[in-house]
Amino acid sequence: MLLRLAWRSIWRNLRRTLITASSISLGVAFAIFMVCLAEGVYSKMTDDVVKMHSGHLTIEHSDYRDAPSVDLFINEASSLRKNVDQIPGVSQTKLLIRGQGVARTGTGASGVAVMGVEPSSEVQNSPIARSMVEGDYLEDSDDAKVIVGKNMAKRLKLDIGKKLVITTNNAAGDLVEVLCRVKGTFQTGTEEADGHLVQVPISFAQKLYGLPEDSATQMGILLEDPDEQQAVLKRLGAAKMEGSATVRPWEEVMPEVASYIKVDRGSNYVFQILLLTIILFTIFNTILMSVLERSHEFAVLQAIGTPPADLQRQVVLESTLIALLGCIGGVILGGLGSYAGNVYGIDFRGFYEDGLSVSGFSIELILRPKISAYIFARFGCFVLVTTILLSLIPIRRIPRIAISDAIREAK
Amino acid sequence: MGQIIELDSVTKDYGQGEVIVHALCGVDLVLEAGEFTAMAGPSGSGKSTLLNIVGGLDNPTSGSVNLEGEDMTRLSRTKLSRLRRDRVGFVFQSYNLIPILTAMENAEYILMLQGISATERKSRVNQVLNEVGLEGLGDRFPRELSGGQQQRVAIARAIAAEPALVLADEPTANVDSQTAGALLDLMVKLNEEKGITFLFSTHDQRVMDRARRLVVLTDGKITHDGSPEHAQRDVES
Repeated sequence: MLLRLAWRSIWRNLRRTLITASSISLGVAFAIFMVCLAEGVYSKMTDDVVKMHSGHLTIEHSDYRDAPSVDLFINEASSLRKNVDQIPGVSQTKLLIRGQGVARTGTGASGVAVMGVEPSSEVQNSPIARSMVEGDYLEDSDDAKVIVGKNMAKRLKLDIGKKLVITTNNAAGDLVEVLCRVKGTFQTGTEEADGHLVQVPISFAQKLYGLPEDSATQMGILLEDPDEQQAVLKRLGAAKMEGSATVRPWEEVMPEVASYIKVDRGSNYVFQILLLTIILFTIFNTILMSVLERSHEFAVLQAIGTPPADLQRQVVLESTLIALLGCIGGVILGGLGSYAGNVYGIDFRGFYEDGLSVSGFSIELILRPKISAYIFARFGCFVLVTTILLSLIPIRRIPRIAISDAIREAK
Repeated sequence: MGQIIELDSVTKDYGQGEVIVHALCGVDLVLEAGEFTAMAGPSGSGKSTLLNIVGGLDNPTSGSVNLEGEDMTRLSRTKLSRLRRDRVGFVFQSYNLIPILTAMENAEYILMLQGISATERKSRVNQVLNEVGLEGLGDRFPRELSGGQQQRVAIARAIAAEPALVLADEPTANVDSQTAGALLDLMVKLNEEKGITFLFSTHDQRVMDRARRLVVLTDGKITHDGSPEHAQRDVES
C-alpha cells in the first residue's frame, strides 16, 4: 500500500513530476556525458603517451629518474624481459634507449631527443608509426636510418634519403658523430615531437651511445588492462629484478601528463558538483513543496491513525521514485550519448586547427567518450542516495503538523 | 453498557498573554457505548474543539479525557495515533478522502495500518461498502463520486476497523437535504444494528431530531444534555 500510495502520489501533480524527473534526467545525462568524454580524452591521451614512450610501467636504472643519462642503463635486458613477459597482466614489453644530441645538416643544426626503439614492436602500437606523413617507418634491420618530425625536416630541409649527422656524448663521455639517412617523417601535432624527436632502431642507438648489445635505458611495459596497473606493479615488485633496476608507474615517468589529468579532473569535479547541486536543489524544492502543500492531507491521515513515521516513509519513497525515474532516464540518455560519441567520435579539429598538446603530448582531436558502467552507476547512485538524504529534511515537518489546526484551516 | 468516553472538567484556551479565548470551560461529558449523540450550538461554541479533544487530535488545557478508561492526555503521540487508529473513527465535514485511492482502498486504509491481511481486508471492506450502500462503486476514485457517495466512503472508512466510537464533524453539512437524510438513516442503522457509538456535531435541526441524546454547547459550556425534545426549553431557561 505504501508503494502504491507513493507511486500514485507522484503522478498527482503530473507536470511537476515530469519537470523534476526530466531535470534530473538532463542533469545526470549531461554529467555522465561530460565525465565519459573527459575520461575518454584522459584514457586516449594516456594510451598514446604510454605507447609512444615507455609504457604503463617502466623499468629503468634506479638513478635514471634523477639524472637521465645513457650511462644509467639496464643490462641483460632480454633476460629481464623474459621474466616480465611471463607476469600476468603484461601485454607487451619494449626496449628503449633515450639520449640527447645535436642533428646537423648542411642547412643548420638542431638539438634533438634521440629515441632508440624496436621498430617491429613500435609499429604495432606507437602513435608515431601511425603518424608517418612521408617515407616509411623504421624496420628492425635498418642501420643508420632515422625518422624525424615534420617540423625538424622543414627546419633542416630534410627530405627522404637525405643525410644528417647526429652528434652526441656516448656512455663513456666521448663525443661521437654518426651519419644517418632520413627514412621517413612524421607529424603528431606537437612541437616537442615534430620539432625535436629523432627515432632510430635500438641496435643503432646502442652503437651510437656505446652501450652493450643487450641493454636499454628503459624497458616499457604495456598492460592488458591499464586499471590493473597497481596489481601488476605489485607482481613486478615481487619478481626478481637486477639490483640497479627499479619499476615505476607512468605517472612518475611522465609527471607532467599525470598532473594535467589530475588538475583537469579536479576542475571537472567542481563542474560536476555545481551541476549536481542544481539537480539536488530541484529535487529538494519538489520534496519541500510536496510536504508543505499536503499539510492538510497529512493531518487527516494522522487523525485517522496513520503514524507520522509512515507518512515520512511515504514522502521518502515518493522522492526516491522521482529520483529513480530521473536517474534511469539520465543514465539511458547519457549512456546513449556517450555510446554515440564513442562510435562516431566528436570532431574538434575545426576548433584547434594547429592541433592541441599538453606538456608536449598531443591530444587526439576526435574525442571519444569512455563507456564506463562505473561512471553511470556513480552518478545514478549518488543522486539517489542524496535524494533520500535530502528528503529527510522536509519530512521532519510531518510529525510537527498541528492536526486539528491543519484540518480546521482547510475547512 | 460500558463507558466509552469520560470528560472531566475539560477546558481549552487558545491564544497567549492578554488575548485568550476560552473555547471550552469545564466540560463534563460521559458517553456510554451504543449512544447516538448529537452536539449542537452556535458557531464558535466549542463543538469542533470538543470533538478534536475527544478524538485525541488536540489536548485540553486542563481536565482529563478518558477513552475506554485510558487517559488520552497522558499518551505519547505514537500511542495516541495507535489509539485513534484502533478505537476511533472519524467522519469529516469535507469527507477528506485520500484522492489517489479508490473507494475500496480508502475504506481499506485503516485496516492496512492495523496490519490485517489483504484477503481479510477485502472481505471486510466489501461488506462495509455494501452496508453503506456503495456496492459496485469500490473501484471509483473520490473524484468520480458524488458528495453523498464520498461521505458514505468516509463512513465506511470510519467503521471498517470496528471502532468503539465514531466522531463526525457536521457530516451532513456539505450535501443536499435528500442526501443528508440518507446519510443520517445510514448512521442510525449502523448505530442500531452494529451498536456503533456516534458523537457528531451539527447545525442541522433534522439531525438533532434524529439523535437520541443532544448536547448543546454555548460559549464553551454545556447548556443542555438530554433528549432533543427538551433542548429548546433548557436553552431558553
